[in-house]
Amino acid sequence: MTPTVTRDVTPKPFKLNSATTRTLLIVAQLLALVVFILALEFLRRTTGGTLFLFSTIGPVLALIAVAAVLGVATYRFLRRHSLFEVEDIEPGQVIFRQGEEGDCAYFIHDGQFAVIREENGTETVIARLSTGQYFGEMALIGNAARNATVRAVTPARVAILGKQNFLTMLSLMPRTQEDIMQTVNARAMRKAKK
Amino acid sequence: MNEDFSEAKAEGVCTAWYFAAALRLLVLSAGVFLPLAAQAQDEGARFQQDPVQQVAARVLVVLAVIGIVVVVYSLARYRGSAVEPASWGVLLAGAVALPLLITGVGTILVFQRAERVEFCASCHLTMQPFVDDLKNPKSNSLAALHFRNRYIPDDQCYACHTSYGLFGTVEAKKEGLNDVYRYYTRTFHLPITLKHPYPNNDCLKCHAGSEKWIASHQDYKDALFSGEATCMQCHAESNPAHNIAQNVATPH
Repeated sequence: MTPTVTRDVTPKPFKLNSATTRTLLIVAQLLALVVFILALEFLRRTTGGTLFLFSTIGPVLALIAVAAVLGVATYRFLRRHSLFEVEDIEPGQVIFRQGEEGDCAYFIHDGQFAVIREENGTETVIARLSTGQYFGEMALIGNAARNATVRAVTPARVAILGKQNFLTMLSLMPRTQEDIMQTVNARAMRKAKK
Repeated sequence: MNEDFSEAKAEGVCTAWYFAAALRLLVLSAGVFLPLAAQAQDEGARFQQDPVQQVAARVLVVLAVIGIVVVVYSLARYRGSAVEPASWGVLLAGAVALPLLITGVGTILVFQRAERVEFCASCHLTMQPFVDDLKNPKSNSLAALHFRNRYIPDDQCYACHTSYGLFGTVEAKKEGLNDVYRYYTRTFHLPITLKHPYPNNDCLKCHAGSEKWIASHQDYKDALFSGEATCMQCHAESNPAHNIAQNVATPH
């Protein structure tokens, strides 16, 4: 009997990291700045060239800027309001980096992750997490940036809960909130000791 | 606790500084650019100022200056990160709302200003001789007569070289873009000639109802109305539309 090979054809969810969104927003604002300058130059000196630039190139730049900002805003909104999206992670894949904005929490269905703290250019693995555990909640609760980098050690599967839904879950489920706060406090104490 | 208070105070002072700097820049820019917008409108006689153009120009200046200040503030203060509502507000104002507003208001001005004689003259290598003839008090060309006596009150080039109605306007703007391209790429050919025969309608849209014109064209008005004869048959050589000196620049 011929063995059948199955391939996972699940489309990978689209992801934008913090650096990319920052770059997009800066580029959008620079394009808007160009539009404003084209407008002032058109007013100062109305010639064929300034009119062409302002009436033809200007709207194109404006639309690109609007698309970039609204695209980032929509992406972030969907991310914050995501409800347990399941994602397969490759070994070595970085889930989030220290210092990035926190927009969701991750619940480990399968696999192992390393929690890495970077200080003075040195990376230190401060914890290892596996099935049944979760990470990324401290940034959501404290409304702060990620305090560590998390990287997959083995092939893994996580369920992602957006920030808004995570905080709603905490408010509706006091027991869960207690459990999570205990974990948060334990992790904070471990960080303080180190 | 004292450290937290000091940090919050420093943050507040920093924010206040950014706001103050932005306000100073706004006032300075408005002081520079508003007079420019007003000056651009005073070119014509004081009785010919178009209020739509004046208001649109001033609004555009204000919006552009505010936009520059907002974007510069956002870039300096937040450096591309948008987390708090305030940062998103500034970002949406500077990179979404204001560019869209400026593009919208600017379109009104673009359509208005593209019709002005000074705009036509800005392509000076090709159009300056025509504008010089138009404004020459000693010229007896049709263009000069219409200009000198204010038979056409303003936008004289546009009035004669655009067909009637919205379609005429759109066609003129489309051909204008083509002309801008050929001018700046220096692919125009001299002497400048019309792309197509001058249509009778562009004269008749004003003159057909004029008693003075009918009286002087009694013998050929029917042929002109039907298209059997063209206005340019008579007005190319004697009583020409334009008297052009042959000292125009050549493209390289």
